[in-house]
Amino acid sequence: MSMGALVFRVGLLALFLAPCLRANEIEGTISIQRRLTKRKVTSSADVYQRGVAVELRSDKDQDPLAFERSHVVVYLEGNLPSDKLTAELNQQDRRFSPDLVVIPAGSSVSFANLDPIFHNVFSLSKSKSFDLGNYPKGQSRTVTFPKPGVVFVDCHLHPNMSAVIVVTPNRWSTKVDPSGRFVLSGIRPGTYTVVAWHRAAGFFRKTVRVTETGITTVDFVIPLGAEGVLEQARQ
Amino acid sequence: MRFATRAFLWSFIPFAFLLACSFWVIQQRVQHTVRSGLRTSLREAHMSMARLRQESELQNSRFLRIVAENPPLKAGLQLLLVHPKSASARLTLEDQLREIAETLRFDFLMVSNSDAVPLAGIVRIDDQLVAIDMQRMKPPQQGLFTLGANTYQLNSFPIDSNEENIGILSVGKRFDLSEFGTPTILAQNGKILRSTFPNASAAELEATLRTCGDQPECEAQIAGETYMTLAAATVNFGDGYNLRYLQSVDSISHPVQGVVQQVFLVATFGALIAAAALSLFSSRSIVRPIAAVVSSLRQSEATGTLPSLESNPATIHEIRELIESFTRAASALQESRENLRQAYFEFIGSLAGALDARDDYTAGHSRRVSEYSYAIAEALNISGNELEVIRVGALLHDIGKIGVSDSVLRKPSKLTNEEMAQVQQHPSIGRRILEGVRGFQQYLPIVELHHENWDGTGYPLHLSDVRVPLCARITHVADAYDAMTSARSYRSALDHEAAIRELKRCAGTQFDPEIIKALLRADEAGNFARNTRSTVPTLRLVPLPRVTVEAS
Repeated sequence: MSMGALVFRVGLLALFLAPCLRANEIEGTISIQRRLTKRKVTSSADVYQRGVAVELRSDKDQDPLAFERSHVVVYLEGNLPSDKLTAELNQQDRRFSPDLVVIPAGSSVSFANLDPIFHNVFSLSKSKSFDLGNYPKGQSRTVTFPKPGVVFVDCHLHPNMSAVIVVTPNRWSTKVDPSGRFVLSGIRPGTYTVVAWHRAAGFFRKTVRVTETGITTVDFVIPLGAEGVLEQARQ
Repeated sequence: MRFATRAFLWSFIPFAFLLACSFWVIQQRVQHTVRSGLRTSLREAHMSMARLRQESELQNSRFLRIVAENPPLKAGLQLLLVHPKSASARLTLEDQLREIAETLRFDFLMVSNSDAVPLAGIVRIDDQLVAIDMQRMKPPQQGLFTLGANTYQLNSFPIDSNEENIGILSVGKRFDLSEFGTPTILAQNGKILRSTFPNASAAELEATLRTCGDQPECEAQIAGETYMTLAAATVNFGDGYNLRYLQSVDSISHPVQGVVQQVFLVATFGALIAAAALSLFSSRSIVRPIAAVVSSLRQSEATGTLPSLESNPATIHEIRELIESFTRAASALQESRENLRQAYFEFIGSLAGALDARDDYTAGHSRRVSEYSYAIAEALNISGNELEVIRVGALLHDIGKIGVSDSVLRKPSKLTNEEMAQVQQHPSIGRRILEGVRGFQQYLPIVELHHENWDGTGYPLHLSDVRVPLCARITHVADAYDAMTSARSYRSALDHEAAIRELKRCAGTQFDPEIIKALLRADEAGNFARNTRSTVPTLRLVPLPRVTVEAS
């Protein structure tokens, strides 16, 4: 952990130093034309009286496209410096909360059960497969993800519980905010491949050139981007 | 009772009775057939309904088998099997059951282990899915389960994992009697749990169940109506449950029976009217010839003639025979009456002759007086019965002389006053003799009054002119004439002319002049006293009944 903290401090220093090192930012927008996810979630009713599962779109408070945008991950490909983090992925109200976690390779995720009922966490994904078994309220189990990749997390007991952990190859990764904007900062000038990933739409890659001055802008149109390549979601 | 009424009733009542009976029997038969037909169709309807139900349950069970294959449910069950005491694990399973129940709209879900021990379950009460406390409730795996106001029909399916049975899933649906369409009652151990049967108390229905017992089909009276109940035997509810359909046979068969009854009522009524008409006709056809015979007999009774066969309309053999035999009997009667009359006249003749024979001088007197009287009466245009009365009455006129002694009658010399008085008694004596004899009343005036004179100087009552009946006046004249033309011991006979002269002389004093005139008319016509004495025998022989007298 002390090693990690050191790395973290070094990272922070690097970020601080970045402008000095003539580092620059990549910023951009993600625009999604239509709804891509068809998920049912259990309504957050009292555990003693489960309501009927509601479809996401019927939740009027939430803009479905904003939901889609907020579930897009953007990162840079390439063997670049990385951090080791510990993220939390809780189980509450029969949902994984949050349902999308972005971590650099080598980070850990702790799964805490906050519900009065048992939950189970497992994954069959290629990059990391695990089964933490059933455990009741109050218990927490931790998994480390050494390899980059997309890990789908499920619960044996509750099939509608689903979460995604995107393990990125380096520290430059972010979730897109609901309005569709993202910023990757502290990037040295050079040529990079920016990857946008969406669970249903797959990977979208764009090569950008980061110069010493000025902010590089890259925009993605999902799912029909100019260079968009659809890949299998579970690839 | 009149014969016509009797004949009518005797033909109509048995006829009507037979008709009514046979119609009643036929109607009962038809109604029975109709009822049993309806019952059969009812039963078949119920059977097909039950078959449909069974089929839908089979479909349902296929679907439910898939529900039992739900992997999260298996995971939950396995979790609970691993942590049997954990409330959290039970809660997890109950939560899963709730989700399934919400998604698939089940009213009851329960999971048991492979030994059929219930582990967790939920039930829908007032649209809330409530966990079942397995410490207190013991729902069955199969059949009906009653919880509070609700009854659930349960079906169970095995939960298998890797070819190994790990438990049982029981799925329940609220048992709603209104689905059955017909009135249905659900009872447990003879107690009514639910009923969609209107207008009957639970006690009545329980009584029906008791009477029906285990019979799959029976009929019962509820609230005055006949119901057929069918046990829903196709579904096994277990645990003392008894489901029965009820169907009012009456309400179905009533319209049909009403029509049948109406038809038969009309038919019976028509047949009875026809029977009445037929009976009336037959009784009249029997009675009419008899009535005709009776009326012709009445007529013949009034006229005194025999009924004639030809005038009778009766063509029936028996009636004709009746008339013939009656006619025979009547003519025989008439003949015998005639014989009797003849005998009677002959008797009177011989009586008069016997009377006259007491005295030689008066022999043949009565007969002659009778003949003279007859001739005079004929001259007076008297005929028929009156003429006959005069003839017979004149024959009898001196019958009272029986009471006068021979010595007085035969006395040759003049009679003393006393003897004369005795002779003058003879009309009164004759009256007394004949008074008591039935049928002789009509001769009494002649016998009593043939010595009354026209001027009232006669005897015994001293009546004058027309107060003396005509017949007596005629006999009086005839008697006087014969007395004058007959010889007596004390004088010789007058000849005819002298006697006529004497009669004429006394006309208006002793005799009725009109009668004398009639006598003269008869005499002129030659009908009066022509050689009477020589030509007519004194005494007619009377044929007597043959009597064999044994010589001693």
